[in-house]
Amino acid sequence: MTVRQRHNVKVSGAGSRAMVLAHGFGCDQNMWRLVAPAFEADFRVIVFDHVGAGGSDLSAYDPQKYASLEGYAADVVEICRDLGVRHGVFVGHSVSAMIGVLAAKRAPELFDDLVLVGPSPRYIDDHDHDYVGGFSEAQIHELLDFLDSNHMGWSQAMAPVIMGNSDRPELGEELTNSFCRMDPEITKRFARATFLADNREDLDGVHTRALILQCSEDVIAPRAVGEYVHARLPNSELVILNATGHCPNLSAPEETVAAIRAFV
Amino acid sequence: MEQESRSADLEEDLADLFENAPCGYLSMQPDGRIGKINQTLATWLGFSHEDLLGRRFQDLLNVAGKIYFETHFAPLLRLQGFFNEVALDLVGAGGEVVPVLVNAVERRDPAGEVRFIRITVFNASDRRRYERELLEARRAAEAASLELRELNLTLEARIDEAIEKRMQAEEAVRQLQKMEAVGQLTGGIAHDFNNLLTVIMGSLEAIERQTKEAASGPAAQRIQRAAAMAAHSAERAATLTARLLAFSRRQSLTPRAIDANRLVAGLADLLQRTLGETVVLETVAGVGLWRIFADPGELENAMVNLAVNARDAMPSGGRLTIETNNAYLDEAYVDSIPEPVSAGQYVQIAVSDTGAGMDEDTLSRVFEPFFTTKPVGKGTGLGLSQVYGFVRQSDGHVRIYSEPGIGTTVKIYLPRDRANEAATPESEAAPGLRAHGGDETILLVEDHDDLRVYSSGVLSDLGYRVLPAPHGRAALELLDAEPDIDLLFTDVVLPEGMDGRRLASEAIRRRPGLKVLFTTGYTRNAIVHNGRLDPDVDLIGKPFTSADLGAKVREVLDR
Repeated sequence: MTVRQRHNVKVSGAGSRAMVLAHGFGCDQNMWRLVAPAFEADFRVIVFDHVGAGGSDLSAYDPQKYASLEGYAADVVEICRDLGVRHGVFVGHSVSAMIGVLAAKRAPELFDDLVLVGPSPRYIDDHDHDYVGGFSEAQIHELLDFLDSNHMGWSQAMAPVIMGNSDRPELGEELTNSFCRMDPEITKRFARATFLADNREDLDGVHTRALILQCSEDVIAPRAVGEYVHARLPNSELVILNATGHCPNLSAPEETVAAIRAFV
Repeated sequence: MEQESRSADLEEDLADLFENAPCGYLSMQPDGRIGKINQTLATWLGFSHEDLLGRRFQDLLNVAGKIYFETHFAPLLRLQGFFNEVALDLVGAGGEVVPVLVNAVERRDPAGEVRFIRITVFNASDRRRYERELLEARRAAEAASLELRELNLTLEARIDEAIEKRMQAEEAVRQLQKMEAVGQLTGGIAHDFNNLLTVIMGSLEAIERQTKEAASGPAAQRIQRAAAMAAHSAERAATLTARLLAFSRRQSLTPRAIDANRLVAGLADLLQRTLGETVVLETVAGVGLWRIFADPGELENAMVNLAVNARDAMPSGGRLTIETNNAYLDEAYVDSIPEPVSAGQYVQIAVSDTGAGMDEDTLSRVFEPFFTTKPVGKGTGLGLSQVYGFVRQSDGHVRIYSEPGIGTTVKIYLPRDRANEAATPESEAAPGLRAHGGDETILLVEDHDDLRVYSSGVLSDLGYRVLPAPHGRAALELLDAEPDIDLLFTDVVLPEGMDGRRLASEAIRRRPGLKVLFTTGYTRNAIVHNGRLDPDVDLIGKPFTSADLGAKVREVLDR
């Protein structure tokens, strides 16, 4: 199994410079279907699925490796090296924004520009350091406990959506081959790696140009977090989008594309 | 007019259906805010319409729901235009949780722009409770089946173990019964033969005497020669029956207290002559040796028989080593052998050769009378039978260790003579009563299955963690996998091309400082002089008692 097969890598576009688009927690490369085509004229557009999501190789999931975001960052580096990416653009949504930052630290030659869509280096508030992440520790643990204990609630409801459902093959067939597939067990672990992460220190020493795209009403990554990332990355720009929610790439693709285009 | 009235009725009817339907309805505007919500949903949540209009659907969810909605369901809705049967928890005005199933669908205008999102909410309180019970039941069932499976697995292992033990016991009993049966048969025949031989020999003497007195001349001389030949053969037949009687333990013994060292020393000349010039005889006398209670003549016979066997096993020369030692056979050891032997103090006389050795098949039959590996006419097949019969009749024990191509050691244990000695303090007399335990990890390498099980059991009982391996390769694999091994306890002679000495040096190369204890059925002198081991290694001879092993292991570990 090659790296490209492992991550269901798709390459399109006519440009020479690479633009790597990374999806976040909860979906797969379909997240970029409304954004990616806009860059195909000027870039070599690369999309992929993290291991455990979409069309990735589930057997490659190693709980130890993917217990922290570093494991995912190592994959990004591996994919980019395999495809010969140098001085490219990295666009990361949600948790993949920080995964991109970690990858840029590991291999600075890969990217000249980082586009961070709804980034958060830590989701849990840290009162000792006056840091607002948007969630109390108890709330995040409520989420994780819920995922751990409630197989029937989420997974059972998610099962037809995510994995296909033997009871309703028509639904399964339709959706298995469409969007946002994710193995329920891996989802739980990915949630843990994502929402318990604290990558604030990793923002230091990143000198790559960075664009932070912040939605105006984002429950997952509130504005204060976007501002924090902006303040801590010396070579960054912060753009507040009119779009609301956590997924401007889906809810406001034109605005998202325009902001990225203006930056690169 | 009538038409207007009918349309007003219809409108009222529809409004009533919307507000009071058995499920919740709400419409979200393209900006995500609630534009319309029905009474049913408002009532479930304990809010008024006004409280809810202008808020976002996500605001009605608990934290987990908010995160999941943003990361999973909002993208799904946007990508495929709908989602169905998503289980979420709504939070009511008083903080109460309302479990629901949610369907959502985008409604678009002809230009493809989203006009609103219709969300249908089904109350799933009962269903969720039912699901939880189902889940609990499934977990309980899975736990039960896991337990059952484990039980089955261990049951199989337990049955296997029991069958294995049973088969070993049956084999031992069979072996013993065979020896008993052969003993009775040969003993019976020999006894009758002795009676017949007595008559024959007496008659031959009478014939000789009477022909001498009554006649002379060539005819009488021929009769006399024939009678002398017959008498000679009858004497040989009598020797043979004596040996058969010895094996069947029906010979008459005259036991008395013997100093085995003195007996061996006195026998050295005879043995050396028996062995011939190519075999070197070495005797190692144990210090402070106890006296034994046995028939000295038969013990001498046994020693000669062993020497003859050793000589025949070493046609091109070699070394015969005779050693004496005090020994203690403990309960665990005597339980492990088929013959009824009492636990207690013995003197061990070990006779080791460097000859051809024997395979297991031969070993299992070696005490049977008339069983011989020698060419026809070379041996009677009664030598070891005599040794076995004599030792058993003397309440002793005999054990043989042999490896093809390496040599054979026969160990004879004869009971200590207690009559003529002052009682020895119990602590010294029974070292087996002292426990020498520990909790270290011991890598045990022994190719003999029964012995591996025995040693493993002894060491485990003493508290050690034992990792058993049947040969050197398996031992090295264990050594690589287990970081905490404190002691390598290995047989000197191992199969598959790696003997204990090579195993030990490889193990020490991989794990410098590793402690090593060797064991062998050969005696120390035999094996060191044969160049199979260096003189300064730690070695415990087989058979060892649990006390011997415990003490030796502790001694090596504590050094």
